[in-house]
Amino acid sequence: MSRTPAKLNLRSRSLISKILINIFIIFMAIFILGPLVWLASRAFVTSWTFPNLLPDGFTLKWWHTVIGDTSLLKAIRNSLIISPIVVILSSIICLPAAYAFARYEFFGRRFFLIGIFAANAFPKIGLFASIATLYYTLNLMGTVLGVIIIQILGTIIYMTWIPAAAFAAVPKNLEEAARDAGASKFRVFRDVTLRMAMPGILVAMVMSFLSSFDESQGTYLVGVPTIYTMPTQMYALVLNYPVQIAAVFSILLTIPSVILISVARKHIIGGQLAEGFQIK
Amino acid sequence: MSLPPVLVILCFIGGPILLAFAFSIGFTGGPNKIVSLIGQEIYKANNWWGTFDAYKSVFNDSRFPGDFKTTLLISFGATIIVITMALGMALYQRIIGGRLAAILVYLSLVPLFVPVVIAAFAIRTFYDGTGFFKTIFNQFGVVFPTLTLTSWAVVIGTVWTSLPFALLMVSSGFQGIPDALIETAQDAGASFTRIIRTIMIPLASAQIIIAATFTAIGVMGSFTVPYFLGANQPTMLGVEIANFFGAYNRPQHSVVMAFVIFAAASVIAFVYVWVNVRSAKQSGRI
Repeated sequence: MSRTPAKLNLRSRSLISKILINIFIIFMAIFILGPLVWLASRAFVTSWTFPNLLPDGFTLKWWHTVIGDTSLLKAIRNSLIISPIVVILSSIICLPAAYAFARYEFFGRRFFLIGIFAANAFPKIGLFASIATLYYTLNLMGTVLGVIIIQILGTIIYMTWIPAAAFAAVPKNLEEAARDAGASKFRVFRDVTLRMAMPGILVAMVMSFLSSFDESQGTYLVGVPTIYTMPTQMYALVLNYPVQIAAVFSILLTIPSVILISVARKHIIGGQLAEGFQIK
Repeated sequence: MSLPPVLVILCFIGGPILLAFAFSIGFTGGPNKIVSLIGQEIYKANNWWGTFDAYKSVFNDSRFPGDFKTTLLISFGATIIVITMALGMALYQRIIGGRLAAILVYLSLVPLFVPVVIAAFAIRTFYDGTGFFKTIFNQFGVVFPTLTLTSWAVVIGTVWTSLPFALLMVSSGFQGIPDALIETAQDAGASFTRIIRTIMIPLASAQIIIAATFTAIGVMGSFTVPYFLGANQPTMLGVEIANFFGAYNRPQHSVVMAFVIFAAASVIAFVYVWVNVRSAKQSGRI
């Protein structure tokens, strides 16, 4: 993440500040990782009696319970089917617009960009309540299509803003040079513009997938009781099952995020995400 | 070409928001008809300009002032903590760098990998009556307070989930400052704090403000974190909206509360847009 930081001989060289930094790192490790480790360890123990430092015993039976439970498996399947559909539909809807926002100066361009942001400022839960009202009228309550639309809404801001910044960053003269060299318009778009904007688009897709995969409020309001995804199943789990089951489920639910963000890590940290959130 | 997302937004965000506003001022016909039939305590307008009775009813509810204050305080407090932490780490990484800075940054980005529902649940178990600190302190006979189901836990959860975005944003601002500028200032004898105060912060101010406004807006309308971690009363308005819509079956009240949050968020959103336009002007983009 750091591009050759200026090596400055500032006060930091002193021993005290080194110690302070180390203490802060320990604090952050406990603050950030503590809850995750604390919960994840629950997935492998029979029970844990307060205030013992060690669990009463180790077991894998909770994993068997989750794998044997059809309603939990169904939630996993639903999530793995719905989220990719959401990302694909969202790309089809938003990427052309992102390109237009980046390349053309048209009437109302900034208004729409800000409009997308303003829509994001409306509290999601209030929006979902209003959409539910509309869904009753449109008969979308409890349907897969209804859930997909709800989840697309959360992805729009990522799918327009980040790719728009990425398209805008492709130098125009590079495209012109390719045109001069005889490449067709389509070829220029595919081999120059799209290729150079790809990291930004990839980040947008990862963020959209995660937003869809994690979406719980809207899906709960619209989908339950017919359609459960993994996060909405979590609400039920927390209330009705032992904490160990929720722990197993948490680990399963986190796996896709870890894989996807690891793939796009370089670009997310490299500034594509931050770049995308500035209106131009 | 920009038509499709604009259409989707108009249909499924703009439309519902307008309908919701009409509903909140007492227009219960058309698409609002079904929800008006199901819901209780609906205030109907009997003139063309609507009625603010539903708003009055919400503002007069004894719970509302507490909820509103809690929402604002948590949003404000959590945003300040998040931005302070992001600033500290990003500055440390930019000016001093090295292995320790890298560890700090990677630690802070971990929440990006974790779904919010999981994070909220994990933090809930970590700070509850049989949680980590309770267990550790119990070994020494000290009773550590139970934070789960208090506003403190909501702040902790909010900081946890909001930190990565703020850090990425702020640190991208600092990365854009040329080394030469910092070195020159240093050669001229500027102190560490002076460099930060007069060079680093002003040059990255756009990114810092964007990070702050985005965090504040996100927290204000949040639901999952306060739902899992907060007290029953007073609670954040996001949770109250869900309660009023579902459990209490007062859909009009929940919509009114959504507009209260929207109004507060709009003030912040205005700052965000203003900062963006200003920084675009400065760099000659418009």
